[in-house]
Amino acid sequence: MKEDSLWTNIFRKQSAEKTDTLKVLKNIPLFRDLSRKELRQLERILHQRTYKQNEVIFNEGQPGVGMYIIDSGEVRITIGPEQKVLAVLTKGDFFGEMALLLEAPRTASAIASKPSKLYGFFQPDLFSILKTFPRTGNKILLRLSQMIAERLRHSNLENQELRKKLASLTKREQ
Amino acid sequence: MDVTVNRFLKILLALLFFAALIWLTVKLSNIITIFIIGALLAYILDPITSFLEYKGMTRMQATSVVFLFLALFLFLFSYFVVPLIVDQVKVIQHTFSSGQGTESLKRMEQSLKESIPMLKNVNLDISARLHKAINHLSNSVFSLVGSLISLITTLVVIPFVVFFLLKDGRNIIKGMVSIIPNRHFEIALNLLYKTDQQIGGYLRGQFFDAAIIGFLSVIALWILHVPYFLLIGTFAGLANMVPFVGPLTGAIVAILVVFLSNGTANQMIMVAVAFGIIQLLDNVLVQPLVVAGSVQMHPLIVLFAVIIGGQFGGILGMFLAVPAAAVLKVLIVEMYQMYQSFNLTSQS
Repeated sequence: MKEDSLWTNIFRKQSAEKTDTLKVLKNIPLFRDLSRKELRQLERILHQRTYKQNEVIFNEGQPGVGMYIIDSGEVRITIGPEQKVLAVLTKGDFFGEMALLLEAPRTASAIASKPSKLYGFFQPDLFSILKTFPRTGNKILLRLSQMIAERLRHSNLENQELRKKLASLTKREQ
Repeated sequence: MDVTVNRFLKILLALLFFAALIWLTVKLSNIITIFIIGALLAYILDPITSFLEYKGMTRMQATSVVFLFLALFLFLFSYFVVPLIVDQVKVIQHTFSSGQGTESLKRMEQSLKESIPMLKNVNLDISARLHKAINHLSNSVFSLVGSLISLITTLVVIPFVVFFLLKDGRNIIKGMVSIIPNRHFEIALNLLYKTDQQIGGYLRGQFFDAAIIGFLSVIALWILHVPYFLLIGTFAGLANMVPFVGPLTGAIVAILVVFLSNGTANQMIMVAVAFGIIQLLDNVLVQPLVVAGSVQMHPLIVLFAVIIGGQFGGILGMFLAVPAAAVLKVLIVEMYQMYQSFNLTSQS
């Protein structure tokens, strides 16, 4: 009887963990359009990693190949040798998604400020999902393009603002 | 002092570990060979399984379907083609034991001595050498199989390995990646992906290329009435998997067989031309379509890799030499690029 309850506990724990993971994934903007079945396909591909407090996830300048999703814990994004903190991310947040499309050096460092559990989603995984489950892959790719387009639009607006400010400053100086 | 002793102990332990690893590899070489063959087959069949998975099957269903088709193909092959090959082998054995082949070889030796003055005083003894070569070849082929028990083990174990690697290969790789320390994990994953891209296409391409070349060779030799056409054609196809050495060996064996079976010079030329045309078709049509864009290496490196592979692992070694060299190339190029980018960032 005791064994039964042990097994039930284990399975209950596992299925609860799975539902929790699916919830975390569903809240990531990149995977928002995916159905439950597609999220499960994705979950099978993701890499689960555990980090100790103050452990480096990646360093600025290091070649990057993918993004990380925080399942639990806290991650600090820093820049420069003085380690200026740009953001502090918690459960459900994600970072490094640009590296999914562009294999370029990381623009900032990521450090686990608390013991953290992260999911890694990398360029090879994206290509693999595009090959095996193209419908799921295309949904992710479309969302990624939309997010990047949105960021580009935002940057353009900022750029315009700055140009205007610069123009008015030069006029004032003249 | 303590640090030096510690270091010495560490080096000693590492050396002992490597020695044990080499000893184990040598001792278990037969099992390792079986595993490599199984892994290769699973790797070649993986895209078909993934395609079925994409069509809506689960991985288990897709693997089972691939296995059913493979079993059907093997059954048909062993029912229709194997008896024909066995018959042809028996004829070859008869030719040699009856002395017919030896006579032809003596004739060849005589004509060689007459046409090349340098060889006049040299004892060529082609017949004995060929006998030795055939014996050596059959020994090396059968050493893998050994006895009947190990033959059955091989026939049972390989499908098992293929089935489970095909079904769980992805999870096994994921499991192995998960034990890599966080620091090296991303780099390792990237290297794994790049290596797969380089050698996956090559191995699958070579396999299908060999099947096409084998089929074309059998048809060509059958049209030209070459004896043992099925055996030589199959051999030519398999040999084609080894770059440079393979295609030439297939053609030489075919011409030699025509010569030994008292074929005319015309027939020998026709066989050579047929192999030439097949190679041309292979290089112009098949290779660019099937193998293209996978392993990009200088022909000289490929040639050296094949020779070294042959030295270490025989025929299987020669076949695996190119993908092994490709893995090494990916590792070196990626490490170099990483070193450079790290250098750049540390300078800036």
